[in-house]
Formats: sequence, structure tokens, C-alpha cells
Amino acid sequence: MNNSSNRIRTSIFALQAIMVLICLVVLGRIFYLQIVQYEVYDELGDQNSIRQEYVEAARGLIYDRNGNLLVDNQPIYSVTITPLNFDDKNIPLLAELLGESDSLVTVLVNDAKRYSRFRTSKLISDIDFKAFSLIQENLWQLPGIGHQIDSKRNYPSEMTGSHVFGYLREADEKDYKETKSIRLGDKIGKSGLELYYQDNLKGDLGINYLKVNALGQSLGKFTEEKIEQPPIQGDNLTTTIDADLQAFAEKLMKGKSGGIVAMNPHTGEILALVSSPEYEVKKLAGRIDKEYWQFINSDSTRPLFNRAISSRQPPGSTFKPLMGIIGLHLGIVTPETEIYNSGYYMRGRPYKDLADPGLYNLESAIAHSSNTYFLNVMDKIATSGKLNTWSRLAKDFGLGVPNQIDLPSANRGILPDSAYLDSRFGKNKWGLGDVLQFGIGQGLVSASPLQIAQMTSSIVNGGYKIEPHLLRAIQRADGSIEQNNRPKEKIDWVKEEYLNAVKKGMRRNVLEGSGRFYAAIPDIEVAGKTGTAQNPLGFSHGWYTSFAPADNPEIVVTVFLENAGFASISAVPVASLILEKYLKGEVKRDWLVNYVLNFVPKEDNSQASASVNE
Amino acid sequence: MNNLRNLNWSIISSWIVLAIIGLVAIYSATQGPVSEFLPDYIQNNFAKQLFFVALAVVLVLLFQFFTPRTYMQLSYLFYGVALLLVILTLFFGTEINGAKSWIRIGGFNLQASELMKIATILATAQYLTSRRDISAENIRYALIAVSMILVPTIFIFLQNDTGTAMVFLALIPVMLFWSGLPYGVSVYIVSPAIILYLTVFDWKFGAIATILIAFLIFMLQKRVWLTITSFITGIITVVGVNVALTDILQPHQIARITAFTNPAFDPTGAGWNVIQAKTAIGSGGLLGKGFLEGTQTQLKFLPAQWTDFISCVIGEEFGFVGLGLLVITFLFLFLKLLRMAGNHKHPFAQLVTVSVTAVFFIHFVVNIGSATALLPVIGIPLPFVSYGGSAFLTNSLMLAICLNMDLYKRDFSIYR
Repeated sequence: MNNSSNRIRTSIFALQAIMVLICLVVLGRIFYLQIVQYEVYDELGDQNSIRQEYVEAARGLIYDRNGNLLVDNQPIYSVTITPLNFDDKNIPLLAELLGESDSLVTVLVNDAKRYSRFRTSKLISDIDFKAFSLIQENLWQLPGIGHQIDSKRNYPSEMTGSHVFGYLREADEKDYKETKSIRLGDKIGKSGLELYYQDNLKGDLGINYLKVNALGQSLGKFTEEKIEQPPIQGDNLTTTIDADLQAFAEKLMKGKSGGIVAMNPHTGEILALVSSPEYEVKKLAGRIDKEYWQFINSDSTRPLFNRAISSRQPPGSTFKPLMGIIGLHLGIVTPETEIYNSGYYMRGRPYKDLADPGLYNLESAIAHSSNTYFLNVMDKIATSGKLNTWSRLAKDFGLGVPNQIDLPSANRGILPDSAYLDSRFGKNKWGLGDVLQFGIGQGLVSASPLQIAQMTSSIVNGGYKIEPHLLRAIQRADGSIEQNNRPKEKIDWVKEEYLNAVKKGMRRNVLEGSGRFYAAIPDIEVAGKTGTAQNPLGFSHGWYTSFAPADNPEIVVTVFLENAGFASISAVPVASLILEKYLKGEVKRDWLVNYVLNFVPKEDNSQASASVNE
Repeated sequence: MNNLRNLNWSIISSWIVLAIIGLVAIYSATQGPVSEFLPDYIQNNFAKQLFFVALAVVLVLLFQFFTPRTYMQLSYLFYGVALLLVILTLFFGTEINGAKSWIRIGGFNLQASELMKIATILATAQYLTSRRDISAENIRYALIAVSMILVPTIFIFLQNDTGTAMVFLALIPVMLFWSGLPYGVSVYIVSPAIILYLTVFDWKFGAIATILIAFLIFMLQKRVWLTITSFITGIITVVGVNVALTDILQPHQIARITAFTNPAFDPTGAGWNVIQAKTAIGSGGLLGKGFLEGTQTQLKFLPAQWTDFISCVIGEEFGFVGLGLLVITFLFLFLKLLRMAGNHKHPFAQLVTVSVTAVFFIHFVVNIGSATALLPVIGIPLPFVSYGGSAFLTNSLMLAICLNMDLYKRDFSIYR
């Protein structure tokens, strides 16, 4: 009893002592701030006072695989506003100095107010130097207005690469609501690598603290407290792109519609990636030209659409080599199995086969693109209830599954299985007739050029899954370099002998099949496979997927041309020239270049029927 | 009901003085020239606060009709209900300024974590004093009491209300200490916080504190193992903070920490708030710039100037005299409350009164400490002064309970 009341007395005393002590410290601190340091803070308060100034970090640079600079930054002049200090009465003066209309400036001022009344944001960017100088001279008349030199993207290389790089746009309200670290007017990646690697490229904003007077004019740096943050430059990207090859491929695609993917089949490194028609990414740097922006958004050719990775078309006969591999694995055929082509394959209805009548084994069926052979294989797969197995096996080659490429909006394509067909047509409402065409890459099977290039790569690299990618290495601001090596995994069920049979067939396609006129390159053994995607709206779309040298492939090139008719006279020469350029460093067949540049689509009407044998 | 004349009028007066200081400051911060920059719903804050002060006066008087037994009997039930509200808030709450602390009930936005403060104090106090043999000296009882405090803390932390969660954490040493935790151990459990704070200034301060605290613990309890443990904990804290400051953190992060600014408070402009707050207070000088005359306040340089940074408004417009008066009033309230606790015979009343005082004190220190850059910026209101209906009502009710137990202290003294 005595003990515990002793303890209570002591405890109360201890707590009271602690509280008195801490309150004395607080009082002392207040005394220090308000009495001892009064002069310092009074001055700051009077001048009202310190402002934050953001120092933009330089956005990371982009290089090609050989170290050529592809994207860097260029200075541009901008005007900033702090709405709190800005008087709307000054809008006419500001508009006059900027050379813009009052109404536009009013809209911009209101945007900035909506972002924040207190924070400084960009009012207008990329004004010419004369307007910038005028603003600078008249700053004293325009409280709340500031100026800033920042940067826009610049593209010094030969290649355009719009669909690879992507464009930047000023962050809109939605963007800065989502991410606290960006401000209105900050430029952020909206597509391509600029979007995919936005967090790497953007760097970290720096903050300076300035003493300013009531008119917003700077009186120099605020140095009483060391709280400024220097900006940290964005990471530099080294891409897998070969700028020369890319520029050449872009040149060949001028005036055409379609996509090209050139890839290292062993690593998945993309050497060139073209989508045509292309917009000009240069015109979207700096202040956006509104008319151009509307044009590329509304034009019927959809220049913003990345056909190389986002389009989805039946692969046609380019799918046949994979069909052969699956047929071999499932034991439906052996490399020696021969199937007779009578001119058509009869199953419920006749399926035309334009290959010369006769016996075909796998190799020659690929070389001459015999439909009968592959319809037969598909027939046996479907009737033995192995449709889902077929779908699963083909997915190992990257078809019908999301792609790993480091670009936004890659299409996953379609590789149907029974669940998909049920959902598409209704349970039990589909039959052999819907499935059979899958064997020749028609019907619901569809893929992007990127996926066909990936499929081809897995065939020619010895049966390895690869991940297509554009980033080779990241160089960070501290100098450290991180290589982007993607995993490579053997597809366990694929045997060397399956691959050899179809690779020989693809080699013979170039020597004796539909590819023979334009595909062959002197001194280089080229192999490939043409294909046609039927287009109910007009000329068929042409496919060609190829690789070289045939015995030890260094490059896979897949070309897809919309409305081009016969692939053998449209897509094949384009791919052939790209192979020549890459493997020989220069193109000697000028006649072929001229042919491609002046190419006009032609179509034999007989090809528009149900089966196409390219 | 006992005669109202027996109420502790010195505590009531300081309560009224603080409420009036708060109303004046809220008026200045929301109705002065600054109102031009503020949306309507914030301009209404003064009227709302006035209503809550009036409501609180009525409630405090009404509470005097209860007897202390009521709180004891209802404490567990109240704890359960409040905890349920806190959990519901986590799922169905409204987010304001990044913290999901408000739940809408019958047209009112209720901050359940505020109610939880009373509930936790009452229930934990009831548990710790329910039987003679329960003492924090016994690890089992101590752990149960700690969990009773920790469970709501976790939910409030998940609501992203770090400041309030910290107040709950601070209750642990206070309540355990009062329930018999040995002096040495009590000092030991608060020592890392003290050493960490001092090490941020200079590792030598941390090292000296480590030695002094170990010595103090030895003097208090004469236990060698406890002294050694305390010493080792101190060393680890000093070394850990030092390694973090010199090797792990980037220079600008260190600058933020040593400038006592909390990056989480405003990621794009850490340090900015603190400078504005110090400028407001510092430029107030001895007598201040006058009511509605503070340039920092009226030009809206201060963030949250009607809640977390309200002391800056007082400091700027009423100077050292105004802010000093505020601190003295608070100290007066704390000392009176502690004296009240000392006069109680019943351990429940003692423990509740001491805990309530501790809650007020922690709010006071963290709030003023943030504004004067003595501590990192942690958003937490100043009791009775900051705008906030839930907070004002709960703080007043805590006071009402203390007053009530004091009023009945003669009928309420039994065992021990």
C-alpha cells in the first residue's frame, strides 16, 4: 500500500517533470524562431518569399545496336504560370507578346488554374525565341508569369522509327491525377519505347528553391537550408535496332501498307520493325501541330496503328511449316509420308490445290505449298480429337498468346481451340469445315507479323522459345549498364529432325517454289515461305517469312503487305532486299529496289478463291 | 449528481481558453483575406467548429450525470463497437488528404479512430485494473494489454493515418508504466526513440544518450542484464541510423531527414511546408502581425493551416506572446490533469486520467514540433485548437470523463 502510493507519487512527479522539460524546449524553440531569428524570417515573410523551381531532368537518349544516336533532346523555350499571382487582366498583354489569340491564352490560363492555383506549371511550350525574349523583357508587367528553357525530342538519324520510338505528349489531367510525380505540361511517353520505358527515360525532377519578391522575380538561390534536389538524368537505352537496316526497310515500305519485322532468331533481338504508313514522330515533338495530330488520328490509313505488332491477319501458307512440325510430332505423318494431290482436297466440299498434281512429301509440300497435304494433316488432327493439343503445341511458337515484346499494344492473335470455337459459334455449332482451313493458316487463325517472325525464329533456331525485344541495354545515370538478356527456353517436344524437314522445304520454296523469282540472292542461301491472307474487301494480303543463311540463320525477316495480291511478287522482293542489305551490308540489285519502289499491286482473280497456294 | 461547483474549474477554464484560441485561429485561417483562395466547404469550417464547440459544452455537462462505474461497465462493449467502426472505415471509408479515416454515418462524417482513442484507454485501463493481481510486471498481462492497443493501431495504420497510429503506440509505454512495469524497463522501451532522435542531429549525442540511459536504468533497477541490453540496443540504434545516413540514403534524402521534413507528406515538395511554417512563425516576432494580418497565412503559403499547421497562424498573427500563451495553457492543463490523477484512490481513474493526459501531450508535442521543425512533419491535430469535429468532441469527452471521475472520487475509492 505504502509502496504503491509512493510509486504513484514518484511517477506523477516524473511525468510532470518530463512535461515541463519538453514544454520548456518548445518554448525555447519558439523563442529562437520568433525572437532570435526574427530578422531572417521576417525578411523571407515580407518578400513572400521562397519559391520552388523545378529543374527538368534530361530525358534518356536512345541508341541503335551499333551505338548510333537515334533520339536526343533539343532546347525549347517555354512560359510558366503561377495562377495565384497572375491577374487575368494581363491576358491581352500576354497574348500579344506570345503572338497568340486572347481566347487561346484564356483557355491555357484556366487549364493551369484547374491544375493548381499555387503551383507553377507550364503555360505554353516551344515558343520561338523572339516571343521568348519579349516575355523576358516584360516580365515585370506580368506577375505570376515565369519562363523556362526545357527540351523536346530530336531525331538525328536517317531512320524514322515512329512506331519503335513512339511519341511524347504533355501529361493531361488524367495522367497527373494518376501519378503524383508528374506535373501538368510534363512530357511523357504515350506510345512505343517512350511509353514502355517511360519510368527509365524520364529521370528525376530536380527542385531548386529561389528567393523571389512579390512580383515573382528571382533574387537568387535560397541557401539557408540545404534542401534542393539536383535533377537525375533519365536512363539511356541501347536498342537492338540496326538503324541502317531500319532506314532501308522504311524506304522500301514507302507508299505501301503493312509491316516488317527483322529479328535475330537466336536471341529475339529485333533488328528492324516497320509499320507503314508511318506518321512523322518529329512533327509530334515540341508543341503539337494540331492539324497534323487530327490528320493522323482520323486518316483512314490509320498511321498511328502499328501493323507490325498490332495487326491480326490469317497467316496463310506461312503457317504450313509449323503444321508439318506438329504433324510429325503427333505421328500423323513421317518425313517420308507421301500424299497425292489431285487438284483439290475433298471433304464435304472441294478445297482447291493449285500445286501441280502428284505425290508430295513434307519437304515438297512446303516447297510447292500443296494444300492437300496440310488439309489432310489437319483433318486427322481434328477427327482424332486433338484440336486442343494442336492449339497448345502451336502456342509454344508464340501464336495466340500475349507477346513479350517491350512495346505497348502488341496483339496476341488467335489460335482457336474448342473452348474458343464454342464461345465464338456456340457449343456444338461448329464442325470440321470450320477447323479444316486452320491447316493452311486460314479461317480464324490469325497473327501479327511479329508473331510470324517469332514462329519462324523458333523453327530455325533449333526449337527454342525466344522473346522478341527492342531493348539491348540500359545505361543508368550513375554509369552502370544493365544488359537486357531475355530467357531462351527449348520447346521440349520439338525434335531436330522435324525442323530439318521443314527447313529444307522452306529452302526449296526459294529454289523451286513460288518464291523463286525474287527471293534468291547471289552467294547467299535463302529459305522462306510465302502466304496469302484472304481479304473479303479487296486484294489479298501478302505474307513472306524468310531466313538466311539457310544452314546457319543469322536473321529472320517477315514481311506483311496489305492488299498487295501475290506475295511472290510483292512481299518476297522486299524481304529479299532486306536480307541482302543485312548480310552483305549493301544492296547490289538496284533493279529490284526500283521494282519494289514502283510496285503496283496486281491480283490474279483465280487466287481470290477459297484456297491459295502461295 | 454532485454539486457542479465541485468540478475542477481550472481544467475547464483552460479547455475554454484553448477552444477560443482555436476558433480565432480557424477564423483567421479560413475567413480572413485568404478565403478568396479557398473553396466554400473550407470557408464553412469556422461555423462548423463553432457548432461542435457548443455541442461539446452540452455533452460535457451531460456526462456529469453518469457515474464512473458506467465507464468501467461499458468499456469492453464500447471498445468492440469502436473497433468495428474502425474496421468498417477501412473498407467503406472516405479518403481525405490521403488518409481513409472518415466514415459516413447518418449524414455525418465520423472519424472512428478518434472514438477508438477513448475506447482503447477505457478498455485497457479496465483490463489492467480489473483484478488486484494483474500487473504489467507479469509478461502475460502486459502482452494482453499491448495487444488491446496494437489491434486498433494496425487498422488505423492501414487507413494511412500514421499520426494517429503513432499516438496509439505511445500509449503502450505510458499505460504499462502506470500498471507496474519496473522503472528500468519503462525507460528501456522508450530509449530507442530518444536515441534515434538525437543521433539524427549528431551520432555523438546518440552515443552519450545511450550511456546515460544505460546508467539511469542501472540506477533505477540494479539489473545488470537489463543495463547491458539497453546499452546494446542503444549502440545498434546509433550505428544503424549512422549507416543509413552515410551509406544507404541519397544526399537529398538525408537533407530531408535532417531538415525534419517527411517526404511522405508531400513527395514533390518535401521541405517546402516546413520552410513556410517556420517562416510564418519566425516572421511573427514578439507581438505578431495582428489578427488577419499574417502574410503567410492570408496568402495561403501554409498547408492545412486550419488543422495541422494552425500553430503557425497563431505564431504569425499573435507572435511569441500568443504562441507562448498557448504553450503555457497546455502545460497548465497537463499539470492539473496529472495532479488530478494523483489524487485518485481508484487505479482505474488514475490510469484513465494519466492516459488521457498522455494522448493530449503527444498530440501537442508532435503538432508543435512539426510546425517548428523540431520533429519530422507528421499530420496530427492540436487538441481543442485545430479544426475537426470528431477530434474536438472526442477530446472534450475524454476531458469530461476525467472531470466526472474527479467529481465522484470520494464515492469511487475502494480496494487497494
